[in-house]
Formats: sequence, C-alpha cells, structure tokens
Amino acid sequence: MKTNLRHPEKSIAAKLIIAIGLLMLVVSFIFWYAIRMKQEKDIMSLAQKYAVSFADFTKRSTRLSMLHFEPEEIQQTLENLSTPVGVNKVSIFDHQGRISYSSATQDVGKSVDKTTIACMGCHSDPEHSAQLIPSPQEWNVYKAKGGTSLKIVRPIPNEPSCSGAPCHQHSKEEKILGFVEADLSLALLDEALLKQGLALTAYVITFVLAVSLFLGIIIYKIVSKPVQVLVDGMGKVAGGDLNHSVPINSVDEMGILASTFNSMIGDLKAARDQREKWTHMLEEEIAKKTEEIRNTHANLMQTEKLASLGRMAAGVAHEINNPLTGVVTFSHLLKKRFPPESTEAEDLNVIIEQSERCSKIIKNLLTFARATPSDKGKVNINDILNRTIFMVKNQEKFHHIKFIEKLEDEQLVVFGDASQFQQIFLNMIINAADAMNGRGNITVRTRKISEDNNDFAEIEFTDEGSGISEKDMPKLFEPFFTTKPVGKGTGLGLSVSHGIVKHIGGHIKVKSTVGKGTSFFVRLPLSE
Amino acid sequence: MKKILVIDDESIVRISCERTLAPEGYEVRVASGGREGLTFLEEETFSLVLLDLKMPDIDGIEVLNTIKAKWPQTKVVMITGYSTVDTAVQALRLGAFNFIEKPFTPDTLISAVKEIFDRMDQKPEDNTRG
Repeated sequence: MKTNLRHPEKSIAAKLIIAIGLLMLVVSFIFWYAIRMKQEKDIMSLAQKYAVSFADFTKRSTRLSMLHFEPEEIQQTLENLSTPVGVNKVSIFDHQGRISYSSATQDVGKSVDKTTIACMGCHSDPEHSAQLIPSPQEWNVYKAKGGTSLKIVRPIPNEPSCSGAPCHQHSKEEKILGFVEADLSLALLDEALLKQGLALTAYVITFVLAVSLFLGIIIYKIVSKPVQVLVDGMGKVAGGDLNHSVPINSVDEMGILASTFNSMIGDLKAARDQREKWTHMLEEEIAKKTEEIRNTHANLMQTEKLASLGRMAAGVAHEINNPLTGVVTFSHLLKKRFPPESTEAEDLNVIIEQSERCSKIIKNLLTFARATPSDKGKVNINDILNRTIFMVKNQEKFHHIKFIEKLEDEQLVVFGDASQFQQIFLNMIINAADAMNGRGNITVRTRKISEDNNDFAEIEFTDEGSGISEKDMPKLFEPFFTTKPVGKGTGLGLSVSHGIVKHIGGHIKVKSTVGKGTSFFVRLPLSE
Repeated sequence: MKKILVIDDESIVRISCERTLAPEGYEVRVASGGREGLTFLEEETFSLVLLDLKMPDIDGIEVLNTIKAKWPQTKVVMITGYSTVDTAVQALRLGAFNFIEKPFTPDTLISAVKEIFDRMDQKPEDNTRG
C-alpha cells in the first residue's frame, strides 16, 4: 500500500485516469478524423459546384462573342473573368487540344498536355480519342504554387446557332466544339479548413483534458482520499493507537469498508483492554500472593527462629538444673554448719538467693519453650486485667503511674491459663512503666475485634514512654533481647508472652513512635 | 529402716539426695542409671525410689512401669526438670507417688520424702496413689 503511495503513477486513480484518458483520446481522434474528412468532402463538393458554375458562366459570357466570332472580345472576357481572387486562369481550347484563348496570354496557341484531366477525363487513351470513359471526370485537384488548385474542364457542345453562324467555323457534324478550362485556387478554402481543423483539435483536447480532470477529481474524492484515510488509520492502528477511528463520510463501498474497519478496531481495542485488565488483575494477584508468601515466610522464619531458640534454651536450662541442684543442696548443707548470724551464713544466703534467681530465669526460659504445666479453662480477660492492675497499683514502682482503664462492657472469654495471662499482662505493664521511667499514664483498653472471620479479644497497653526504635523492632520478641539496664530485665518477658499467646492461636502487635510512646495489642482468640 | 534408692544419671543429683537424706535417718543407695537401679531393686527391697525421668540407658517411665509391675509396694517419686513436667504428670497417672522439680532445696526434698513415709505409716495397706 505504502509503495503505491510513493509511486502515484501506480495508484488505482492514476491507472483509471490513464485508461479512460487513452480511450477518450482514441475515440476523440476517430471522431476528429471523421469530422475532418466530412468537412473536406463537403468543402470539395461546394468547390466543385462553384467551379462548374464558374465554367458555365465563362461559357455563357463568351457565347455571344463566339457566335459573332470576335476573338479579341473573347480574350478580353477571359482576362476579365480571371481577375477575382481565387481564379488562377481561364482557358478555352479546341478538340485537338490547342489553346485558342486564355487569360494567361502566353498559353494561347500552345497545346494542352493530353495526359491531363483535360483529355484523360473523357478519353482513356490520348491516341484514340474516340474511346470515351462512361462517366467523365471533369475536375482535378493538384498542388500548385501558392496552394492547392482545382482544375475543371467543361465541354462546349455544338448547337444549331453555332453551326449556323455566319463565321462557319464549326460544321454541323461536330458534337463538341471545344472546352472551357477553369483553374481555381483552393487557398482560401484550405485556410478555412485548417482553421476549422485547429478549432476542432482544440475542442477535442479541451474536452479530453476537462473530462480527465473531472474524472481525476471524482476518483480522488471517492477513491484515493478515503483509501488514504483508511491507510493512515491502519498505520496508526498498526502503530498501537487503538483509539483511532476512521471518519465515515459515505454510504458506498468505501463507507462500508471504513465502518467495518472501525468495528474491527473496536473489537481489537476491547480484546486488548480485556487482555490488559487480565494482565493487571494477574499482576495484582501475583503481588498479593507474593506479599502473602513473604509474610508467611517471615512469620515462619520468626516462629522457626523462636522455636529453635526455645529448644536450645530448654536444653540449656534442663542441663543447668542438675548442677544448680548441687549448688543449692550444698549451700544449704554448708549453711547449717555455721551459726545463723555468722558472715559465712550470710554469704551462703547470697549463693542460695542467686541460685534461686538462676532457677527463676530457667523457669522463664522453659515457659518460653512452652513446656509450662497449665491449668487451662475459660477465663474472663477483664477480670484478670482488673486483678493484675490492682496487684501492681500498691507497689512502689507504680506510685507515680496513673492507669486509664477502658474495658469492654461485654464479657471477653478466652480459653487458656489464667496465671499465664496474668504473667503476660504483668510483663506488659512492667515494660510500660519501665519505658516511662515510672511516671505517666498507662492506658489499658479491651475490645472485641474480628480478623479473618475470627473473633479476638484485643488488650491494648499504651504508654507515654520513649518508644521503640525501628532497629529494635524486629528483635523485640527474641529471648534475651532487652533495652533495660543489666540486671534489671531478663529479656524474656516479651518472648515468653509471645510464646504463650502464639500457643493458643493469638498474636501480639506493636505500634510505636519514638519519643511519643508505644502500644502493644495482645490478641487472644475468643472462646466459643 | 527406711530404705531409699536414688536413680539418676547425674552424680551431683545423686550426691545431693544422699547428703540431704542420710542425716535425716534414711538409708540411701544410689544408682547411676535405670539398669543399675533395677539390679539394686532385685538385690534388696526399697520403700521409696527417687527416679529421674530422663536417663540415657532406660527411660524413667519404663523403669517406673517395671517397678510398678514387680515391686508394687515400692513408692516412686519422680525427679524432673521443668521441661519434663508434662511427662511427670503422665508418670503420676502411671502410678508415681509425686514429683519433685529440679533444682530443689534440701527442705523441699526432705518434706516430700517425709510426707510419703508419714502416709505409709498411716495407711500401710495403701499401695497406690490414685
């Protein structure tokens, strides 16, 4: 298609115009030729008639002078007759071919050429003049100086007034007395014919050009332009612009083509949109799944990490219990050997206390490893919270802390170990108090929430403390991770809480802003 | 004579028990594993066995089962690390009298042992604890 556009002569329009133009040229030429022939024929016929009448007029003009045999008169008349424009010469010659009179005086007395029309028009053989051609040819056209000439020969028949004239020039037996020969110029007629021919040619050329131009315009309008528009449209569509549509300006085949093309584009666009929608949906789905997998993986990693840490901690703890038993036992045994108030007894007390502390750490570790013996049942979260807060309020650590309790009116019943829950809540409250250096508000809020079609009791602990840095956030639930001063925290509180909550199908969420405070959300599955 | 057999693979635990209970008037013998313990049980009669749950040769539960089958008169108290409390509960179901968590103080051990002998004195016909 594009190749054709680069070569306009190969386009349909050009081919049509050339074909029609050629056809018109041929037809016009044939018409032109026919008209030209007809014109020539008509003009010749007119010229002949004129020549015949001129020859006859010459005959009649000289008749009287002939009858009276006045040669000078005859000569004078011929000279007079030859004066008008278009008359070359007029001659009269006898049956033997001798020119008796002529407007061209130098010809008088000469013989006519017997092979010319003057003789051969009637006689087939100049030597045998008796043999006549059945239909005599009286005229002839020949080229002369200054243009074409028409020569006509008219016989002068014998008549009684001639043979009876007193001059006795002609006998009664003679049939033909002589001939009038008129030589007429056809220059004027030729000129008229030429002008007419030129005009005709001009008309024909104008006609052919006009028709070709008109056809060209029509073809351009109804074929080339719509095709060009279609081609442009297809080019744009091929380039990816499916919003393009071809304007429909007609109801002909081009219009049908354009509307078919448009509906095709519409279908293509719909298909592409559908495909893009699917692709988009697929991408979203993939992104969603990837996120889910990433989260699951992260959770799994975290769980696995905690579990392996838990296993390790349990193993270590279990092994430490044995030597610790020895330390405790022998400290006690040794203590009995000293008086109760002695320095030795006091020192041994330190060993016993510190051993007990070790034992406590190990217990926490093992709780974290989920080996706690538990007394599970349905417990009311609000009751446990109230009890825990009541318990801590009287401690010195909490004297400058105000508890804001916003507990859900509805009973939040969870299946689990009440003492474990109390331990978790205690951990949260102690952490909150530590984060605020023992001064500020702790907000404790409970509410019922739904997550993934499961109902949870959410217990929120919000402090106004220092917040948790982003760096520390991932390590929050790891055992032995603590930001508290050495000796103050074991780094097991949150990991133990996390272990317990996980075990019963709950989870802990944290929101924290450094400098503003931290909120812990403990979510426990509600019992049915 | 109140004879007590301590079966534990950890010597410090064995020694601790011995040193705690001997001054209290109990005759204490120690075994370093389940197999050795069962041999001692074949040799003489013990009123009480302090039995560790986790041992390398024979598991505490298995030893408990054997004792319950062969010497139903002998009481068993399990000694357990914290992480094996669930197993200790299982041991109670299988007929152990009680369990003591490690690390224990001499007082805890003495009172636990004393409790058992007190009960035996009260109801000598009671072999098992429900």
